[in-house]
Amino acid sequence: MTAAAVTAAAAPDLSVQIGKLTLRNPVTTGSGTFGFGSELADLVDLNRLGAVCVKATTSHARIGNPPARIVETPGGMLNAIGLQNGGVENYIREKAPFLRRFDCPIIVNVPGEDPEDFAAVTRRLTEAGVADAIELNISCPNVSHGLDYATDPRLTAEVVSACRKVTDLTLIAKLSPNVTDIRPIAKAAQDAGADAISLINTLVGTSIDIKRRRFRLANGTGGLSGPAIKPIALNLVYRVAQTVTVPIIGMGGIMDASDAVEFLLAGATAVAVGTATFVNPTAVHEVADGIAAYLAQNGFTEVRQIIGAVQAADIRPRTTPEPTQEI
Amino acid sequence: MIRKFLAPVIANMPLAAPGHRVLTFLAPALVADARPGQFVAVAADTGVQVLRRPFSVFTADPATGEASILFSVHGPTSQALAAMRPGDALDLVGPLGGRVFSPDSRPGVRHIFVGGGYGVPPLVFLAKTIHAADPHALMDFVDGARSKEFLVGTDGLEEIGVTLWLCTDDGSCGHHGRVTGVLPDLLGDRSRPAHIYTCGPTPMMQAVAEMAAAFDVPCQVSMEVFMPCGLGVCMGCAVHRTDGTYARGCVDGPVFDGREVVWQ
Repeated sequence: MTAAAVTAAAAPDLSVQIGKLTLRNPVTTGSGTFGFGSELADLVDLNRLGAVCVKATTSHARIGNPPARIVETPGGMLNAIGLQNGGVENYIREKAPFLRRFDCPIIVNVPGEDPEDFAAVTRRLTEAGVADAIELNISCPNVSHGLDYATDPRLTAEVVSACRKVTDLTLIAKLSPNVTDIRPIAKAAQDAGADAISLINTLVGTSIDIKRRRFRLANGTGGLSGPAIKPIALNLVYRVAQTVTVPIIGMGGIMDASDAVEFLLAGATAVAVGTATFVNPTAVHEVADGIAAYLAQNGFTEVRQIIGAVQAADIRPRTTPEPTQEI
Repeated sequence: MIRKFLAPVIANMPLAAPGHRVLTFLAPALVADARPGQFVAVAADTGVQVLRRPFSVFTADPATGEASILFSVHGPTSQALAAMRPGDALDLVGPLGGRVFSPDSRPGVRHIFVGGGYGVPPLVFLAKTIHAADPHALMDFVDGARSKEFLVGTDGLEEIGVTLWLCTDDGSCGHHGRVTGVLPDLLGDRSRPAHIYTCGPTPMMQAVAEMAAAFDVPCQVSMEVFMPCGLGVCMGCAVHRTDGTYARGCVDGPVFDGREVVWQ
């Protein structure tokens, strides 16, 4: 065998399992950051993705919010797109055929106004055979129907069980970071039949133009994403991983492979690359390649070996005196 | 085809206008594909900004494989660009932009370019493209700025037969006033068809588009909206259309029919 063949034979196994899906590698896309796949066809090979998670698809078309919809903030951006999309029938007719040309599991992100609406879209996507998994977007901060399902365990369970009744597809509940304690919500999603949990959705924030004395987003508030939110996302992934047994898709500010490895170590089985795609359209590939390189460099043969492998924090009482605080 | 480049910088020339520069880089594959109205998304390590910044393609020379952007220094990205030296690598994605300027093909048509400040670069690219396809094309370029020193980017256009109409807000050069002060004379010539292509500040383009509609002259506008991704996936660069929907400025534009746009 040549040296190259030896290296190839030793390439680490990147495959992971999310519900019924087997992902060739643990890297997927964050909903709303990758369109419907075709937009980035020049730059990204869908056959190399673990899975593709497409833009939110609602029961009826939505025109979205007026501009400004996105503003940049230090280390990130706020968005209030308002779920602009052509509706589920448009997705089935216009978008799914392109995606089906690739050997890549399709995750469709589904927001809804109430449990019946979530279930209706889930049922339609299932019947039409245009999705391999459904990501229930119970946590979109931009849809103001007065209810944010992911802020309450009981409401979360209502949506998940309504959808569980109408589909055998892998069901993923996407949770919100905008809560006091995410653990009972994650547990409720699992107990109601979710096969996996994805987190985090964006953090609610705002930005004010001091010259005009107006909010910079037309919607007033938006969802913060990008590297600024990574430490928060990572902590919530770790906490949820300690709470549930279903796999977690971790996301929030992942810009490169080392960020992704942090999420895997914290307990995520897969990761989603979101805002990074705007900056670096091929980030999904670079993250997957970088995870493989990390595994090889550290003597791991499969990615599963590092999932949740972070050592517990040292919280033993200090045995040495507190250092003198310097002022 | 959209590609990622680490393009070697060839030159970074200051212009007479304060803070304005032209950055020339080598990217033959970009030059081969770029069309007038398209742009590149540039990344610079600024420490605080995450997103790329879009810059219209100013020149694209098939003979050398070199392209350029014209910019003024006003933020972290443009400051970083201003500091680039020949041999440095320019991190860019492009060419971006789904709908580009479409030259009017009617015989004898008068091509009227209306540029304001930052809007000049894609129109210069368009004028050169039209000239290359038809050396006898009739072209007028109305260029507006606040004062003489900010009239940038139109060097060399007269040599290819473009008639320049300069306008300054302070009267320091050419017509004293807005670009719309010059347009009625050009549009009043009914002996031949006319077509307007405009790029610049939104209030200027609105005034130009409304004047074009009043004279019943077609008008293509290149919309100046913040484009977070430039790829058509973020839905951030919404352009309100008269049919009530929001188009994506980057891939449904950046060039729109002036009558298609709801002006804010």
